[in-house]
Amino acid sequence: MSVPSVNTEAFEREREIVEAPRRVRRITAPSFSPLGLLRGIVVLWQYRDLLYTLSVHRIKVRYKQSVLGILWAVLQPLSLMLIYTLVFSVVARIPTGGTPYPIIAFTGLLLWTLFSTAIINSTNGLVSHAHLVTKVYFPREILPLTYVIAAVFDFLIASVVLIGLMVYYQVAVTWNVLWTVPIVLILTCLVTSMSLVFSALQVRFRDIGVALPLLLQLWMFATPVVYPLSAVPERFRWFYSLNPMVGIVESFRRTVVDGVPPDFATIGVSALIAIVLLPIAYVFFKHVEATIADVI
Amino acid sequence: MTIDLSFNHVSKRYRIREEIPSNGNGNPLVTKLRALRSRATDFWAVRDVSFEVERGEALGIIGHNGAGKSTVLKLLSNITTPTSGEIVINGRLAALIEVGSGFHPELTGRENIYLNGSILGMSRREITDKLDDIVEFAGVRQFIDTPVKRFSSGMYVRLGFSIAAHLNPDILLLDEVLAVGDASFQQKCIQRISELKRSGKTIVFISHDLGAVERLCDRVLLMKRGEVITSGPARQVVAAYQSDATLSSESVEVHKKGETKEVEIRTLSFRDAAGEVRPVFETGEPLTATVEFEVHEPVENAVFGVIFFTADGQEHFEFTTDGSGESISLKPGRGKIEFSTHELGVLPGIFFTSVYVSEGNPGRVIHYHYKSTVLRVDSGKVMHGNFYMPHRWSMTQSK
Repeated sequence: MSVPSVNTEAFEREREIVEAPRRVRRITAPSFSPLGLLRGIVVLWQYRDLLYTLSVHRIKVRYKQSVLGILWAVLQPLSLMLIYTLVFSVVARIPTGGTPYPIIAFTGLLLWTLFSTAIINSTNGLVSHAHLVTKVYFPREILPLTYVIAAVFDFLIASVVLIGLMVYYQVAVTWNVLWTVPIVLILTCLVTSMSLVFSALQVRFRDIGVALPLLLQLWMFATPVVYPLSAVPERFRWFYSLNPMVGIVESFRRTVVDGVPPDFATIGVSALIAIVLLPIAYVFFKHVEATIADVI
Repeated sequence: MTIDLSFNHVSKRYRIREEIPSNGNGNPLVTKLRALRSRATDFWAVRDVSFEVERGEALGIIGHNGAGKSTVLKLLSNITTPTSGEIVINGRLAALIEVGSGFHPELTGRENIYLNGSILGMSRREITDKLDDIVEFAGVRQFIDTPVKRFSSGMYVRLGFSIAAHLNPDILLLDEVLAVGDASFQQKCIQRISELKRSGKTIVFISHDLGAVERLCDRVLLMKRGEVITSGPARQVVAAYQSDATLSSESVEVHKKGETKEVEIRTLSFRDAAGEVRPVFETGEPLTATVEFEVHEPVENAVFGVIFFTADGQEHFEFTTDGSGESISLKPGRGKIEFSTHELGVLPGIFFTSVYVSEGNPGRVIHYHYKSTVLRVDSGKVMHGNFYMPHRWSMTQSK
């Protein structure tokens, strides 16, 4: 076996090119600061390639060595929809105000699947990558973020089924459907904040991962996922709408299925919560990040 | 000179919580909650460490396990943050970590190169540019689109190293990279690191392989219990470490107080073919280990042995009288026992030795010297594989 040599000339060439001004980095004890938030974002931007590669990897790996592959992204909400249709439209009838129940359920489940899979997967994201976290530095938020991105990707794939359902039930589409873009954006912000907080907590308290599926189950029934908002008694609505997922799911349904603009009061609550929560969650995550490798 | 790296009074504290033993009864939840409030003991992995590394310099850090070397590396690579003090890094820093730790078995070699490369901090463009070199260096061209779970372990290691070796940082951190793989692989590592050094990279090298540290580093820090105790030219500090290692011997007394040992081990020394005592040998050289002892009371069926430990505490090999099948009976007085080998089969490294004498094997230990002496092996015969197997060869040729 020969020992291959390395092209030293190539190095010399690189060196000449790379002699650009160097970045100076200072590492000190962790401290809370709004400046840290900004610095975090700058570093995250420098690592954008890793975020991209890991997200693609996440999507690829999930369906590798499965026969149905990417179809699973469609099958999951679709089969759930069939189950709920059987329960709420055949066994127990829920008043839907004329809209076909499968569309009600599918729009809700589509958003909910994004919400719950992103949170459940990312919560374990740091712990399951302990071997990397203890060996090499990269902004740790990349790990939970990749799960969020993968969930958004699955959401887009499964949306194709929604289009099919709407064609089948002959639901008319209006320009109001464009509202779905900011709505999904608000949802993504919300999911990201929760993923950051839960994944950071999971490092220290593994209880989070165990309690989460239960919490999400409860949360789902407190959100108009498998029933329309109209099924909730009027006097509870105000309190009910404090749940940020209510505005998101209901507004999505209104704009897509009913073809009317979103209810700005409820989506406003969701947007406000998401926008306030995201920077707080990020600062919290960055603070915990400093000692993750010691605890994990 | 430009300073590329500096540590200014850096300390790192770990909090170790004591586990409160549960008395069996009582709510486990209460016990858990009480444990959360229990007092934590402080452990300073690194204490007030200051040093600077100039551009183009290669700095070695040596010391026993638990001396704080790895913590320094973790602090440098920003895996963890200091408790106090400041670290300044001027330029792009990359750590040559345990190879292949970022591999995903389901992905192909090519996909893993991108994945691992970006984890190590390379941009996608950079990886695309170097893809050919990386594949060539690892020698896995045919398999590049095969999932790495189908790779042999050798291919796995080669690909992992090849990716890391093609990083182009300003500052390179190396931690025990030479401890993995066979000799040809280690040779490759050394060669690559030398090349990086020649091209003007700043290097921080942490290793137990004192020979490699001496060869590669301009300056060495010796750490002990979280503090830097010596720093200076490589040869000088390595020598100081070796004498320190010898002094830190512990003799484990297996006898109760007041009792006398029947046999006492006095010294262990290593001699070469000419009978000279030496602390450093080369792979493939003849070596004789001499154990001197004193017998106070007769012992039947005595067994002597010398165990060699690697720097990380693993038993590596043993010389023993037990394997021969002959039994030794000891009469009062002094004596010595010699273990010899024509060709030393171990690869370069530093080995701690323990000497024992027991009655029967496994039997009652009479005297045990724990990690008393250090044997250093430098590269002599360069071999592929995990150890050098003494061998002969002959050739026949026909027309």
